[in-house]
Amino acid sequence: MSDQRRGDHSRIEQLAETLLPELSARLAASGLGEIEVREDGWKIRIRRPAAGPAATPARTTTGTRKGADRVERAGHDHAPDDVPAPAPAAEAHRIGARSPAVGIFQAGPELRSGARVRQGDRLASVDVLGVPQEVTAPEDGIVVSSLVESGEGVEYGQELVILERVTGLAR
Amino acid sequence: MARSWSSSNASPALHDEGMRRVISKILIANRGEIAVRILRACRSLALPAVVAYSEADRDSLAVRLADEAVCIGPADARRSYLSAPAVISAAIVTGCDAIHPGYGFLSEDQGFAEVVRAHGLTFIGPSPEVLERFASKEASRRLLASVGLPTIPGSDGLLRDDEHALQEAERIGYPVLVKPSAGGGGKGMRMARSPRELESALTICRSEARAAFGDDSLYLEKWLDQNRHVEVQVAVDRYGHGVHFGERDCSVQRRHQKVIEEAPTPALTPAARADLCERASRAVVAAGYENVGTLEFLVDAEGNFYFIEINCRIQVEHPVTEAITGIDLLTTQIRIAAGEPLGFSQADVVPAGHAIEFRINAEDADDDFRPQAGRVERLQVPGGPGIRWDSHLFAGYEVPPYYDSLLGKLIVWGADRGESIARARVALDELVIEGLVTNIPIHRALLTNAAFLEGRMTTNLLDRIGGSAVLAAARRQ
Repeated sequence: MSDQRRGDHSRIEQLAETLLPELSARLAASGLGEIEVREDGWKIRIRRPAAGPAATPARTTTGTRKGADRVERAGHDHAPDDVPAPAPAAEAHRIGARSPAVGIFQAGPELRSGARVRQGDRLASVDVLGVPQEVTAPEDGIVVSSLVESGEGVEYGQELVILERVTGLAR
Repeated sequence: MARSWSSSNASPALHDEGMRRVISKILIANRGEIAVRILRACRSLALPAVVAYSEADRDSLAVRLADEAVCIGPADARRSYLSAPAVISAAIVTGCDAIHPGYGFLSEDQGFAEVVRAHGLTFIGPSPEVLERFASKEASRRLLASVGLPTIPGSDGLLRDDEHALQEAERIGYPVLVKPSAGGGGKGMRMARSPRELESALTICRSEARAAFGDDSLYLEKWLDQNRHVEVQVAVDRYGHGVHFGERDCSVQRRHQKVIEEAPTPALTPAARADLCERASRAVVAAGYENVGTLEFLVDAEGNFYFIEINCRIQVEHPVTEAITGIDLLTTQIRIAAGEPLGFSQADVVPAGHAIEFRINAEDADDDFRPQAGRVERLQVPGGPGIRWDSHLFAGYEVPPYYDSLLGKLIVWGADRGESIARARVALDELVIEGLVTNIPIHRALLTNAAFLEGRMTTNLLDRIGGSAVLAAARRQ
């Protein structure tokens, strides 16, 4: 492999590590179908598989929190009526981390939107009568949003954190 | 489904005698028909309620009817309906201040009742101290014998070892029944006709009791053949006021599981019934019982009655008593738990007419009563005068395979036994549950059985003839 190509690979790797998680989270939160960023002669474009006007975010954001790393609490398992269901293809990239118990939700320090997580990583915990039960990432992915705030009550099996599955990225 | 998880302070509440607000929102920690029944009781008291459910019961009627519902765990009851932390945590998360355990599951678990109280919540049932006092059947028997109830001749306390058991059996006289002290619902009992049978029964009962209850202590009772199961419904408030609501005859059983219950019992004269009920009521107050409860008796062929055990919970067959007394036992139970005085006396309880309850189970009488699971394709519910249908079924409901096979209870009231049987025939013909095999045919068949019609049924009737024979006899008629 030439030095040039080795350099390219290293740059791609770097971009994937730094830029992609953030872009992916923004895409998911924005409702846009596609985002393109140019930097140092490199161009990164990420696109929803079902791109187009019909594409919707997995969960709605309030749009009022500046730089918010959480989205609003979007109810329990059932999406509120005013949020259209995600397009099936977008849904395929969306992974939910679910509650292992009924109790009080506590976000973990790693639970930031855009954070890259590995399967089994601890995202949060659910406190059951003072005993914390871990909420872990079901797959490798990028944190899109948390659906509940620390201190809120959650039920068993409730979707708590949305991850974006990482596919088609140079790694 | 509407799910608002904030407790409203404007909602009504039940207060104790000191006017302290005790119960303002109830978590229903059970499933099936009893969850629906408790929900109805809460609503008639204008109390908000939350249905706690397992993943397997997400589409249940109780969840559908509830204003609020909370998933507490997976289908496995040990991680949902039997998990004290899950149930209590669910009550806290949903802002409930009381937990109704229904029957089965955690309903008579003294440890659970204690933890509930430690979290500042009200357990709708007896206090942990009362549950502890009556936790062991052997101890309850001794306690109620000391306050005047006759008990079946049995071993002097728990069996120390095989030698002790053989000595005691010799003294009592064979046949004897080996019973686990921690058991219930007839589980883990074995009859022995000889020392040899007793030795093998002891080994089996010990290992079964250890596995089922975590306690292998056993005791012996004299085996009474041709007996009846008659129980007395009582309620005692925190201030020592107790009443009885008459008795129920639960002699139609299959392997110690009740199939049909009725009130009054055809086995005793009105004077004998009054004597039994009054003695039970006095004894239970003297023994310090609290909340609703049931004292079970065996009645022998001569009409002698013997106390067997007390059930510290609301029972499956409570509607029979509600039908003849017109008193809502569930709301009575909730009020007592809140610390309200009973508010009525024995003279206010005036039973009238005759009621019979048929337990409709998903089981195949032609296949050794094997439990069935599946989808209810069509449901036709009976109606008319005196008919009550307590059930969690609806057309399209998927009966999960994880829990008991009870689908519903048909309760029929008539001015006398004859009228209630006549109405029951009509109702059982109207009742249609398509999609899974039920025991409705066995109920229809029992309504043609001479022993049942003449009120001569005994606890071994169904086991002796067998379900298939009862069905075949009915087909021949």
